Amino acid sequence: MGGVHAEAWQGTSASLVAILEHSTESRIGDMGRYGATIYTDLKEFLAAVDVVDICVPTYLHALFAIAAAKAGKPTICEKPLALTGAESLEVLEAFSSRGILLQVAHVLRFSPEYSAARSAVLSGRIGDLAAIRLHRLSFAPKRGRNSWFNDETKSGGIVFDLMIHDFDYALWLAGDVASVYAKSASGGPGHAIAILHHANGVISHIEGSWSEPQPVFRTKCEIAGSTGVIGFSSDDSSPMTLRLHESISEATTGMDDHVVGANPFELELQHFLDIIDEDVEPIITAFEGHQAVRLAEATRQSVETGRPVRLAATGKGE
Amino acid sequence: MIRIGILGVAHLHVDSYVNSLRVADVDVVGVYDSDFIRGQGWGAKHGVKFFESLQGLIAASLDGVIICSETSSHVELVDAAAHAKLAILCEKPLGVSVQDSQRIVDLCRENDVNLMTAFPSRFEASLGEARDLVRSGVLGRIRALSGTNQSVMPMRERSWFVDPVLAGGGAIMDHVVHLADVYSWLLGSEPRSVYAVANRIVHNEVVSVETSSMVMVTYPGGVFGSIDCSWNRPLSYPTWGGFALSIVGDGGTLDVEPMRQRLVQFGGETTYSWIQLGPDSNQSMIQNFIESITDARPGLSTGDDGNRATRVALAALESVKTAEPVDL
Repeated sequence: MGGVHAEAWQGTSASLVAILEHSTESRIGDMGRYGATIYTDLKEFLAAVDVVDICVPTYLHALFAIAAAKAGKPTICEKPLALTGAESLEVLEAFSSRGILLQVAHVLRFSPEYSAARSAVLSGRIGDLAAIRLHRLSFAPKRGRNSWFNDETKSGGIVFDLMIHDFDYALWLAGDVASVYAKSASGGPGHAIAILHHANGVISHIEGSWSEPQPVFRTKCEIAGSTGVIGFSSDDSSPMTLRLHESISEATTGMDDHVVGANPFELELQHFLDIIDEDVEPIITAFEGHQAVRLAEATRQSVETGRPVRLAATGKGE
Repeated sequence: MIRIGILGVAHLHVDSYVNSLRVADVDVVGVYDSDFIRGQGWGAKHGVKFFESLQGLIAASLDGVIICSETSSHVELVDAAAHAKLAILCEKPLGVSVQDSQRIVDLCRENDVNLMTAFPSRFEASLGEARDLVRSGVLGRIRALSGTNQSVMPMRERSWFVDPVLAGGGAIMDHVVHLADVYSWLLGSEPRSVYAVANRIVHNEVVSVETSSMVMVTYPGGVFGSIDCSWNRPLSYPTWGGFALSIVGDGGTLDVEPMRQRLVQFGGETTYSWIQLGPDSNQSMIQNFIESITDARPGLSTGDDGNRATRVALAALESVKTAEPVDL
């Protein structure tokens, strides 16, 4: 994600001045065009910046986020905020206790089709929300054999890495989840379905897949309300279709595809800056980032136990 | 000429079945309905002789019957037909309870009568092809199924569909059975457990049954299949659609939507409508029923298939109440 964010920063009002890496041989730094200094020392890095963007492997999010909080730096952290609810709460408190801004990069909130669908629901176009279906169907991300990503204890697997996008969106639309029941394929490239029962009675079906062949990446959303249904599908809503006699796909994740309108990553990062500089209302709070982690954690628990898992209410969506 | 009687006209599919029977060159001997006004009116409209007495129609030298009554009356009508040794094509779900559904299957077995459940999806060419693909192994090991059977609430056609006593439930009883049957048919395995959530946010002032529901069925080997059986399309939504499933295997994925073969119309009587084309699965199902009589062999969708799928729907209703998965 570091590369995607580094590119997206170029479209914001901020300058990318420092990159923290294992070594000065950074792949992102090698891209050269950002003019950023590569640091290998966390303290020196933190001293060189005003704000921090965390794109390290998921299992290291909490470690670096807490360091940034201690250094008093407003921070945007890639999703998921952490791999357990306890850990994400710890991160949350590290920032809130110091009065420092923490944003979690749930990019769907800045994706035009998702934000338009939510606006349509909030404006009453389909009456009272009843049922939500969200699908994120991708090929398995291609990483090296020894990549941290292949270790579920470090990446969280399909539930934490992929489905968390739609968990956050369902929470954003329908509020607190009272219970979750989920199944995940025990082998193969990965496929999981979670059924959510929201505290307000709304039901959601969240499906995540790494079982598509490369380079297929599809998203679908359907929202049913008391007076109507709205939805979209990436199969139907791409403004362009390119067909070449010879094509070689170099995509390693599905994120490079078909962005409609402004780049959601740029919007997400600019929004983070606007909260700091212009005091705008955050589109996502750190607590919501924590809520998504709690839901992913409950989903994993349901997969492991074969039982529905109840979540304590926070009062949102009642 | 094969002689068929129609028992009950409550189910809206009966209108298409009578046409299919005629296309199949079958003698539609008569229709019985416990509701005199409804039965007589339907008979007059479709040119079928109305019988006031069930036994009167049963005794009219029939070869078989098609049961399209309210679900709660299935068992009584099957009882009469089975004892008269008539082949039966029964609408889905089989019964409003596990006991009723089992009784229907038992009655037919005891009387050595051929029972078919009306699952037209089994006669969709695309689903047959999907099953062949699954069986061929091209999709690799099957891991998951994800399906929808969504529609408008059918009460504008027949109001009993939303009566919990006559129908046994709402959207769950109406829609779960089709995909539950297709899943077992594709996988060749029995459902192990069922979990479901539901609400009636759509049409909550009109009905007392669930109108939206998500169901998860578990199969041997960790395979799982979800079913969205909701009646949450707005009343202006076109028919027929909303029936679709995805099959996920290690070798790839397959999406099937049989009714996608259609024309799209804007304007006319409604702002947006569909005109189906291609083979009619109801016709193929009726043909299969008639052949099961002439060739004295079981049809493609049997009573046991209906019983299995009905148990999944009933387990889903129970799971909604208990908020726990229900083992089968």
